Amino acid sequence: MIGTILFAGFVAMLFGGVPIGVALGLAGAFCIWLADQSIMAMPTNVYAGIAKYPLIAIPMFVLVGSVFDRTGVALRLVRFATALVGAGRGALASVSVLVAMVIGGISGSGPATSAAVGQVVTRGMVKDGYPRPFIASTVAAAAATDILIPPSIAFIVYAVLVPGVSVPAIFMAGMFPGILAGCSIIVAVLIISWIKDFGGKNPDREALSIWRTFKEAIWGLMAPVVILGGMRAGLFTPTEAAVMAVFYGLFVGFVIYRTLTIRDVYEMLVEAAELSGIILSVIALASVFAWSTSTLGIVQPVADWIVGLGFGEYGTIALLMVVLVLIGMFLDGVSTFLILLPVLLPIARFYNWDLTWFGVILTMKIAIGQFTPPMAVNLMVSCRIAGVSMESTIPWVVWMILAMFLSLAAVVVFPEIALWLPRAMGAL
Amino acid sequence: MAADADFSAGRDNPKTRVPLKLEEVLMAAAMAAMALITAANVVTRYLTDISIGFTEEYSVVLMVVVALLGTAVATAAGRHIRIGYFIELLPARGQRNAEAVAMVLTILCFGLLVVFGTRLAWDEYRFEVLSNGLGHPNWWYTGWLPVLSAFVVARAAGRLIRVLRGEHG
Repeated sequence: MIGTILFAGFVAMLFGGVPIGVALGLAGAFCIWLADQSIMAMPTNVYAGIAKYPLIAIPMFVLVGSVFDRTGVALRLVRFATALVGAGRGALASVSVLVAMVIGGISGSGPATSAAVGQVVTRGMVKDGYPRPFIASTVAAAAATDILIPPSIAFIVYAVLVPGVSVPAIFMAGMFPGILAGCSIIVAVLIISWIKDFGGKNPDREALSIWRTFKEAIWGLMAPVVILGGMRAGLFTPTEAAVMAVFYGLFVGFVIYRTLTIRDVYEMLVEAAELSGIILSVIALASVFAWSTSTLGIVQPVADWIVGLGFGEYGTIALLMVVLVLIGMFLDGVSTFLILLPVLLPIARFYNWDLTWFGVILTMKIAIGQFTPPMAVNLMVSCRIAGVSMESTIPWVVWMILAMFLSLAAVVVFPEIALWLPRAMGAL
Repeated sequence: MAADADFSAGRDNPKTRVPLKLEEVLMAAAMAAMALITAANVVTRYLTDISIGFTEEYSVVLMVVVALLGTAVATAAGRHIRIGYFIELLPARGQRNAEAVAMVLTILCFGLLVVFGTRLAWDEYRFEVLSNGLGHPNWWYTGWLPVLSAFVVARAAGRLIRVLRGEHG
């Protein structure tokens, strides 16, 4: 009974446009009250929910994203990649996917990448003969690889919530699935471009020297190396790696590109603090929700029920796939994890799935939801930048969704795609 | 609109009687302090024998401060993660009412944190609970929860008034 009230109240608030954190916190508090538990569980869980050292990686990686966003790294990466692949059919479209993947190795949020890449490539791609809805689809799909390619805020939250999964391990586990997803999108984009003859139409494109653009882009290309290399070599914890990347980004912005001012530093601190506050408040209040669902014993029956449906291992994964993609259309990855993990983990334990691999496939499903119309967040950003409606992207974006589904299926069938790297690095 | 924090359209703050700059300056300072403490940790670990691992405790409380101040600013500006899709199907009046309800619920939620967070800190003060790492009185840390939740309540109340007056945001 209380369980029904909890979920009904929560869903009503969610669809009514109440901030997700508030909806989680109030639904949790209400159930604590109904179940005659001490309401002191609310402030205690809110404080304990965020006062965790590993979570500091979140504000720090958000800051990395803000710093690099302002240095102008995206533009230089596009110029270098363009110099490299030339201007044939589909070339510029592949460039935008590649650049989104590299930016994904710097920042941890999909919409931010979608905006950064969209702003830089849209004009050039229009001139080169790509239709705007196609551009928006490409950018949104490419940016979705962001939450797979480390660093990823969704992964940090997953690792903090799931005992036995470390941040470095799941970061590494996301690497190849993320690259695979990116490559599958490139294949889809190239096939569409060849068939429809997109690209290579700009008459007055400048000839870019590979060497000169490389010299500028190398500073951006090095950023993921700084972040992941330091972490892999065991030099830094994830949080420290993020801070090193912040100082590296400031160095590039002030000394190399000379694009930053002191005012920018203040603004990026404010922006990153607010964004962190938005994410962390959901995490804090979700812990009240999680506490009441587990204390009231609501979670286990739901998990038992799903297992009891008798779909078997792959059937259950397929079921979860449908559910998560649907939810991913409405919610961001972090909130999805916070709400669903208490139910999902017992299922994973029942089937004895590797929890690191499970985190990767869950994140891939959420990533697909992030560019599935009509509510996808990445697509919304890229459509706004391209100046098109979300409906207009449907004929193109379905192929990219299909491509990413195929790479998801590959990771489901061959878990080693995810698990080989962390195992080889000794992180698992 | 789907739910995710998205600043790509710019961060335009609403006009508030108490400037949002108040929270913004504080949270920028806390953010910078967090980054500098972590950097100092790395430097001292590799260059000296001194370990300043104990600073973790300060970093954590700074993060709590950033989280709540950031929440206050995002509340004032209506930038929290939420599902706006169904609300946007409503006529203007319905949207305004929904936003007003959302603000009332935000006040309720963070109001509970003010009241019971105060009691939590008060209990820790009375029973002289000490922190795990440094052995400081724990209420120095948990005390921020009710204080800064009050900021969120105030910002939600301000936005509620602006919404009811029919101002945009």
